[in-house]
Amino acid sequence: MTTLADPRAGGRHWTDLDDFQEFIDRGGMVEPGDDMPEEYRDEVFRFIEFHANSELMGGLTERDWIPHAPGLRLKQVFLAKTQDEIGHAHLLYMVAADMGVKTRDEMLEDLFSGRSRFHNVFHYQAVTWADQVAIAFLVDAAAFASQRAVFAECSYGPYKRILKRIVSEEGFHMRHGEEMLLRLATGTDVQKEMFQAALDRWWWPAVQLFGPDSPPGLADPLLRWKIKSERNENLRAAYVQKYVPLLQGYGFRVPDDDLHQDDDGRWVAGPIDWEPLKATMRQGGPDSARRIATAAANWADTAWVRDALTRHETREAHEVGS
Amino acid sequence: MTATTADARQTVSDTARPGLADVWEALRAVDDPEYPGVSIVDLGLVESVELAADGSSATVGLIPTFSGCPALTMIADDVRRAVVSLSDVERCDVRWLDSPVWTTDRMSTAARAELATGYTVVLRGADGSLRCPICGSRAVADQSLAGPTRCRSVAWCDDCRNPVEVMRS
Repeated sequence: MTTLADPRAGGRHWTDLDDFQEFIDRGGMVEPGDDMPEEYRDEVFRFIEFHANSELMGGLTERDWIPHAPGLRLKQVFLAKTQDEIGHAHLLYMVAADMGVKTRDEMLEDLFSGRSRFHNVFHYQAVTWADQVAIAFLVDAAAFASQRAVFAECSYGPYKRILKRIVSEEGFHMRHGEEMLLRLATGTDVQKEMFQAALDRWWWPAVQLFGPDSPPGLADPLLRWKIKSERNENLRAAYVQKYVPLLQGYGFRVPDDDLHQDDDGRWVAGPIDWEPLKATMRQGGPDSARRIATAAANWADTAWVRDALTRHETREAHEVGS
Repeated sequence: MTATTADARQTVSDTARPGLADVWEALRAVDDPEYPGVSIVDLGLVESVELAADGSSATVGLIPTFSGCPALTMIADDVRRAVVSLSDVERCDVRWLDSPVWTTDRMSTAARAELATGYTVVLRGADGSLRCPICGSRAVADQSLAGPTRCRSVAWCDDCRNPVEVMRS
């Protein structure tokens, strides 16, 4: 049985970055009450904020498809997935805000005004139901692989504890993705064509989700401080190796003319054009503007709920106090 | 901690009829899709198990933690697969029962322990109080009724500064 419980609540101090590095290298886990180096705090905060933003933007995409999901059971699945992603965002924003770099409101304002980033895959438009299936099958799997690699060695305690549950739930989403893909793959010619068209749109964004190659050695502080446990290029290669045969087995064509097998029979992707990824990091993806505007409008539309809750709490506090 | 309903039920069924014990053993190996490592038997989802006299078919009665749980189809598939993998059992029917209603009382001590230490998810005490599964503090305050799943709400521990998820009944 793995244990994520830790009765000691921080309060540690490190003399310098070398001392801190030694602690991390020994497998030490940093807790909120520790006097962590500012550089570490900033890197971890940025990473968790990016993750939180991505869960929120992903959840809003799932939500858009609840009315369009074919059949009551799939609507139920999409309702639950939406709650999952928004719930994950909620937990991640709690932990990020506690780090004292930005408040939760500041993070949301930055997201809605296009000042902060989220995963590249949420900068594209889901055109048909088959796109949503491709997202569930391909994108959820890429996110799962990348999150699992963060969970493996994650040195920040509160983040690792949330990741344990997120990874378990994403594994469950992937089974839904496989089930939905199987329906299209064994369906009519139209359904198969729909999925092929969706695959043509989503293959490269999914592959690019892992990011460009990590800088050499331990130059990436995320690797050095064990927020990530695996290099981007290794995660990407493992993903290509796993998903190419799966997709081909279902009778689909992977949209990469330079895709090939190396001497050991491993599938290797052709050269990757990173321009589309860079564009999404500048909020300049094909659907970035609409997505951000929708999320911001959603936040504004629900202001009355937060307002009512705050007033209710204030009144309760007042009544208890009087 | 006293034995819970999930603990007690298995003891009775195990001794009641030989053959049934094997089905229970197979079910014990079925994990909840959202909690790998936690068996559906320990979560208290299995209400009844019947085995035909010749052992060729079984009927498993399950109760959901929450209606609307998106894992129901998957759990039923996993149960069928596990039971049919027993030699001689050719068929397994799964029934979702309307009653009794699932509550956290149905969870075994093993499930409670694994959820607390493995997932940092806790159950509310009989008096409604919360205790942090990470540091043991009582300074845990509810944050929101809705968590990432139907069966959990979200709280915050002021001592170790971690979000804590709470199983809902």
